[in-house]
Amino acid sequence: MPTIRLQGISKRYPGSTASAVDSLDLTVNDGDFMCMLGPSGCGKTTTLRMIAGLEQPTGGSISVGDRVLDSVEQGVFVAPERREMGLVFQSYALWPHMTIRQNTEYGLRLRKVGRAERSSRADEVMNVMGIGRFADRYPSQLSGGQQQRVALARMLAVNPGVMLLDEPLSNLDSRLRLEMRTELKRIHQDFRSTIVFVTHDQWEAMTLATRIAVLADGRLQQIGTPTDIYDRPRNRFVAGFLGNPPINIIEFTDDEPAPHIAAAHRFAETRLHGATAVPGSIGIRPESIRIEPPSQAPAPDALTIDASIFAILPTGGSWTIEAVADGRHLFATTSVPPTCRPGDDVRLRVAAHEVHVFDTEGERVGLS
Amino acid sequence: MGLRRPTTAIGVLALILFGYLIAVPIVTMLVQGFTVSPKDTVVVQQQEGSPTSYYLWRVFLSPVAADLFWRPLVHTLLVSTCSVVFSLILGGVLAWLITRTDLWGRRWFSTALIVPYMLPTWAFALAWTTIFKNRTAGGQPGWLESIGVTPPDWLAYGGVPITIIFTLYFTPFVILLLGNALKRLDPQLEDSARMLGAGYGTVVRTVVVPLMRPALVSAATLILAKVLGEFGVTYILGLPTDFNVLATSLYRSISTREDGAAAVIAGAIILIGLLSLWVDVHFLKEARRFVTIGGKGAMDRTRALGRWRVPATALCGLAFVLSVVVPLGVLALSTVMRRPADFSADNFTLDYWVGHGLDTPAFTDGVLVSGAVWSAVWNTFWIVGLAAVAAGVLGQLVGYVVVRSPSRLLGTTLRQLTFLPYLVPGIAFAVAYLSLFAVDRGPIPALYGTSTLLVLIYMVEQMPFATRAGISSMMQLGPEPEEAAQVAGAGWWRRMAHVVLPIQKRALATGVLMPFIAGVRSLSLVVILAVPGMDVLTTFAIRLVEYGYTQAANGVVLVVSAVAFGGTYAIQKTMKTDLGRGLGG
Repeated sequence: MPTIRLQGISKRYPGSTASAVDSLDLTVNDGDFMCMLGPSGCGKTTTLRMIAGLEQPTGGSISVGDRVLDSVEQGVFVAPERREMGLVFQSYALWPHMTIRQNTEYGLRLRKVGRAERSSRADEVMNVMGIGRFADRYPSQLSGGQQQRVALARMLAVNPGVMLLDEPLSNLDSRLRLEMRTELKRIHQDFRSTIVFVTHDQWEAMTLATRIAVLADGRLQQIGTPTDIYDRPRNRFVAGFLGNPPINIIEFTDDEPAPHIAAAHRFAETRLHGATAVPGSIGIRPESIRIEPPSQAPAPDALTIDASIFAILPTGGSWTIEAVADGRHLFATTSVPPTCRPGDDVRLRVAAHEVHVFDTEGERVGLS
Repeated sequence: MGLRRPTTAIGVLALILFGYLIAVPIVTMLVQGFTVSPKDTVVVQQQEGSPTSYYLWRVFLSPVAADLFWRPLVHTLLVSTCSVVFSLILGGVLAWLITRTDLWGRRWFSTALIVPYMLPTWAFALAWTTIFKNRTAGGQPGWLESIGVTPPDWLAYGGVPITIIFTLYFTPFVILLLGNALKRLDPQLEDSARMLGAGYGTVVRTVVVPLMRPALVSAATLILAKVLGEFGVTYILGLPTDFNVLATSLYRSISTREDGAAAVIAGAIILIGLLSLWVDVHFLKEARRFVTIGGKGAMDRTRALGRWRVPATALCGLAFVLSVVVPLGVLALSTVMRRPADFSADNFTLDYWVGHGLDTPAFTDGVLVSGAVWSAVWNTFWIVGLAAVAAGVLGQLVGYVVVRSPSRLLGTTLRQLTFLPYLVPGIAFAVAYLSLFAVDRGPIPALYGTSTLLVLIYMVEQMPFATRAGISSMMQLGPEPEEAAQVAGAGWWRRMAHVVLPIQKRALATGVLMPFIAGVRSLSLVVILAVPGMDVLTTFAIRLVEYGYTQAANGVVLVVSAVAFGGTYAIQKTMKTDLGRGLGG
């Protein structure tokens, strides 16, 4: 399967001043499981729909291999039915007046596949998806999870090279979601297809994707492997969007900083020694924080913050610890049973390479 | 139990009330069809009141059966089938243009094309006769006849104009029903077909039309049911050439005091109504499988018409001109002209609106200065108004009982009983009221000729809508606010007065105003019940039509149209109600 290439793609709705998608460049390689991740309204669904041809871009171009699907400059627009892609919607969009079999066979019927082959291919995908026994039922007689499988079967029946998935798991309960995630991963391996997946669920993106594209306000924030995005967020938005509990951000304000902020500021400046950037804030992932007794000698190459324990929240197998430093709440997580108790004075220690430094614009700076 | 006891008591009272006002009249009337009436004891050679099949024979088999029943039946079926087909086609195309394309002025059209539905049907009939009336009928000639072109009878009267008028009248109804269905249709259903390779035509054929089928069937049966009871149009346009449908045949039987035959015909009309409703329910049951989860509305679902944009807009414009501008324009013009189709300046006058001493002996004053008109206006407002308020309040109470009553039987019975008038065409219902209330029965005096009877029948006729409005608003309310008040120590009456009714204020207002508008336009319901001196606007207009006073009749019908249109428009603007529901008459 060739590469999907989005170049300077923009979408501005008539009567709207802001662009839903603003000159987006994105390349989805063959065999990628690309997740487009972002808060609602960030333009991820619009982008997916433009790839599908259900929306027409107002700027830029989209091509698959050397076939141009959209080009505003050249006046090219290929209708969705001619793009040979598959799309699964958030609401599944099964046709309520057709049985499961009819739904599954629809695409084959349009491709003029003979009756016998049609039926055997439909059987095959229905069995793969575990819905073979519902073949003669109507969608409304099926549960949400089963409907989702039908929607996938309907797409898989025509085996499109590019599969587009628009938040396909968001209507499912958490157990089914886990099950379907495994299913999607299996489909990706078995069918060796390129998948573009839209979600606002960071967990889903982290577990499924080979690469993640983080979007906000119609712009691409960062693209990379899940580990990349998590460990080296390019800006404060990406850092804050991934991770639960969210990353602790300590901002450096001009007016008389609290002692821990001043300490953090000094630390950040030392880290940036020699660079021209001015640190605006630092971010610390909760799992990077070690909790130590206040008597512990400060480590040479680490940021330390004196704080007191505010609350300890067990989350089953791990603990979220809420600490307060100069009136500011910081979160730490640990998988070791904590020995401290609420009210204890502690010292929070973060290894230098685990401190993310951002400049005043919120962009990542520094060596790590 | 404290919550429930008054509910049950109110439910039982309502059951008794509607039992007497709905079930009993219908049964009484049907019984008349099978028992000898005093007038026919000699013919039938049986005692008065003894069971007989004479009326069945007379309506279905006798030599007069063709005139009495079969030909009117054929006419009814023909007219209704044709108008259903035409309005579905026209309405379907217009609905699609309005909801799914980049038609010019679609917002404006989406309101403008609904206007005909807010007017009384027979206003169109009067406009038609004003233009096409030829020398076959007496009175002032039509415009065409006056300029020397005699329209043929088939164009001036009978099936053709009736079908055209019903088509124009019911097209908005189709636009509303199909337009709503199209709007509710999840666009992702179409998108997913396109993703699988279906072109636009294939999507429409395999996805959109099958999913619209319930709405189409619904529209068809509802139109059919309404045409069945529709009296005014055929009365005005059928009379000169003796073109009858079941409703007018029924009216004729009543006016010749053939009560038995009338009862049989009314029974037949009810039966056809039931049949069409059964079809509707059957299909709706099937359609319940189609319930879909709505997705996020597609952002761009209108289709560019390209070079069809101009013709499509022209088509909508033409529909508006033909169904609104021309009829209302003709009616309005005719009321300010002495002689038809004479457009010289001295032929124009405002006498028919504000003059005195006109040369029309039975109606010598202008419409706006005539005491008779104002008395009819007053009657219309207080009779229909009272009935509408009663229907609205009772509808809320019935809704409350249906939703809250612990007895399912009580709720279901009440719901179905109050829905019954929907199946019974207005004119048949009027016949039923005539049979029941023409004489004293026990403690209830004869009500024929009184305003009470008119209030009752207007109210009962609107119960299906009022009840449905009540049920749906009570369903949305949920028991919690009331339970909270109960926990706080409020008794049933206090809860009703302080919690339930205030919350339902809006629903109640709709439940009162919509029946009011429908009642103001309604003719078939009261045409055989109103007596001179107790006229409402619609029956008064029909009397003027019978006199052949074109200007006055058209003037009065314009007043009715103005009230109905203004009222509906105001309701729609202030309440944002769905026009597609409950605008009967």
